[in-house]
Amino acid sequence: MTKQLTTIAMALGLAAIGFGGAQAADPVRIGFSLPITGIFAPAAPSQQKAYELWRDQVNAKGGLDVAGTKRPVEFVSYDDQSDPGQAAKIYEKLIAQDKVDLLLGPWGTPHHFAVAGVLERFKFPMVGDTAASVQLRDLKPGYIWFPTSALPDEQGKQLPLLLKSLNVKTVAITTAQHPFALENKKFIVEGLKANGIDIVSNADYPLDIRDMTALISSMKQANPDAELSLSMTGDSVLYTRQSMELGFKPRVQFVLVGPAATFFTGIFGDKANGLLTMGHWSPSQKKWPKAKAFFDAYVAKYKEPPDYLDSALSFEACEITEQAVAKAGLDHEKLRQVISTDTFDTIDGPVKFNGVVNATTPTMFLQYQNGVFEIVWPKSEATASVITK
Amino acid sequence: MSTQLLIAALVAGSVYALIALGLNLIYGTMRLLNVAHGEVVMIGAYVAYWALSLLSVGPLVSALAAMPLAAALGAIIYFGLFRKAMQSSEFMERIEGNSLLVFFGVSIILQNATSLLFTPNQRGYRYQDEIVHVIGAVVPVNKLIVLAIAAAVCIAAVLFFRLSTLGLAIKALIQQREAAALVGIPLTRIELTSLCLGFAIAGLAGVLVSMTEEISPFMGFPLTVTAFVVVILGGLGNVLGSLIGGLLLGVLETFGVALTAPSYRSIMIYSVFIAVLLLRPQGLLGAQRART
Repeated sequence: MTKQLTTIAMALGLAAIGFGGAQAADPVRIGFSLPITGIFAPAAPSQQKAYELWRDQVNAKGGLDVAGTKRPVEFVSYDDQSDPGQAAKIYEKLIAQDKVDLLLGPWGTPHHFAVAGVLERFKFPMVGDTAASVQLRDLKPGYIWFPTSALPDEQGKQLPLLLKSLNVKTVAITTAQHPFALENKKFIVEGLKANGIDIVSNADYPLDIRDMTALISSMKQANPDAELSLSMTGDSVLYTRQSMELGFKPRVQFVLVGPAATFFTGIFGDKANGLLTMGHWSPSQKKWPKAKAFFDAYVAKYKEPPDYLDSALSFEACEITEQAVAKAGLDHEKLRQVISTDTFDTIDGPVKFNGVVNATTPTMFLQYQNGVFEIVWPKSEATASVITK
Repeated sequence: MSTQLLIAALVAGSVYALIALGLNLIYGTMRLLNVAHGEVVMIGAYVAYWALSLLSVGPLVSALAAMPLAAALGAIIYFGLFRKAMQSSEFMERIEGNSLLVFFGVSIILQNATSLLFTPNQRGYRYQDEIVHVIGAVVPVNKLIVLAIAAAVCIAAVLFFRLSTLGLAIKALIQQREAAALVGIPLTRIELTSLCLGFAIAGLAGVLVSMTEEISPFMGFPLTVTAFVVVILGGLGNVLGSLIGGLLLGVLETFGVALTAPSYRSIMIYSVFIAVLLLRPQGLLGAQRART
């Protein structure tokens, strides 16, 4: 009898240990979709690599700290085929069927908008990343947040101030017919007028443009102090390449989207020196000790530098999620509270949200200087001073 | 200024002509609508990119590898997808629509396979990009090389279809399929040759495109669309027409944009495209084709 009891007790004990052990090793499942195929596919790797770097770092430390218990991180990811509607369906599936514990953002503004409604419906909090539009401000605050500080209205105020500090009196503007570029143009033109800077040439072009000879030749004749190329990724290369070929060298050159992407400086190397672009992160920022560590780890793992916008923002979203989960665990309501109110320590410095947007990180501009993008504006955040031709 | 634009127009036009040439050759001989043509261009571009970045082999040399590789792909597609199907009269009745669907599938597979294999990253390399002055215009050397090669191949193609037996046989097949078979032209062999030739030219075009533009697995589709516009302009199945159509499109695009604004580019191109379809559906150079 005693022997039987001992056996039962041992069996129960073992089961308890076994069960406890399984629970401790139970992975935290994190879901997201990215455009692995389709027109936005070229944008996905810089985001995916940042997510995977974070996951590997967390797992190497023993797992994600879920309110005191360490659990390994596992990704559940799908291809949204570059279609925002598909992304919305995938996030619904991730929540309702796959029953993931946490979510990370898809790629791009339209996809984030598509997913926001799903999050709201399931009351599932998610820190977004690669989205930037003034329309983000109109999203109902609650279950989605955006760490970006590159919002077009703020850029429209700051860029003219940067130009003014460089004594720019005349600018030429070329704008890709894309919602983000056009949104920026609207606010930048307002800002230029408010600061008394003359716009000597102002032209839009379609995204599928294949030759800019005519456009650049006419700007060259206008001879502006600065050229603002409000481009998206693909056309930014065409613009930069052809303005070099045609010898169009204004004193100040700003290219909106493109230069921060890894492939851009891979193509141009030192010839990209002096190009200004949008962005609010740099490994040179000594104030943020995690910035350089992230850069080094990324380069060591992938043998290429991160995308200064997408990779940095994606990693930041992971960090914010990680810190919130350490405090609140996986309870969605508690998580929502913590993300809405806490300040987080990220590779991009401290981040606190006001509604859906980042309230602490100022809008900044970067300049390519000998292999690295330095923060050159505003002066309070600068890691280097602006160079002009 | 205008020399600058003229050179830009010629470079763009000659590449368009080259891509359309291959497309038209395949359509002319086999009535296959190859909507995966742009993907063959993309594969050529990747061959040049990898040859330069991994083996330090310049694009002029790697073109010699890209062309047979593209031709081999053409042969695989011919034997794997079309040879058997083309013996079925049902398939042949609607060959244009059927081949369009098949090639659409091929195009998606090639895009996504390349994307999985090489990542969807955009890539580019710098090759011969020092600037030279040509009659008042500044031009990078690589564009002059592209222009020279594309023009040489186009001229060679015209001569080939005028003078060589094989070229004449292909032309005969394009003009009168049944009659060509009756006089002893081996249909299967000529079809296969044309398909491989069309693919090889597309592969070469890819190498040229990669010399001046960045590449990605998804670069092909806009090129396919452009090539179709060129083919319609010049006349379906008319090889010389596609050369002239290509140049015309280059000129239209470059000067049209210079005279109006870049936002009008697509409007201009497609207006001309629709006008040609309405007023001269056989193409600017196409003769009324006797349907057999």
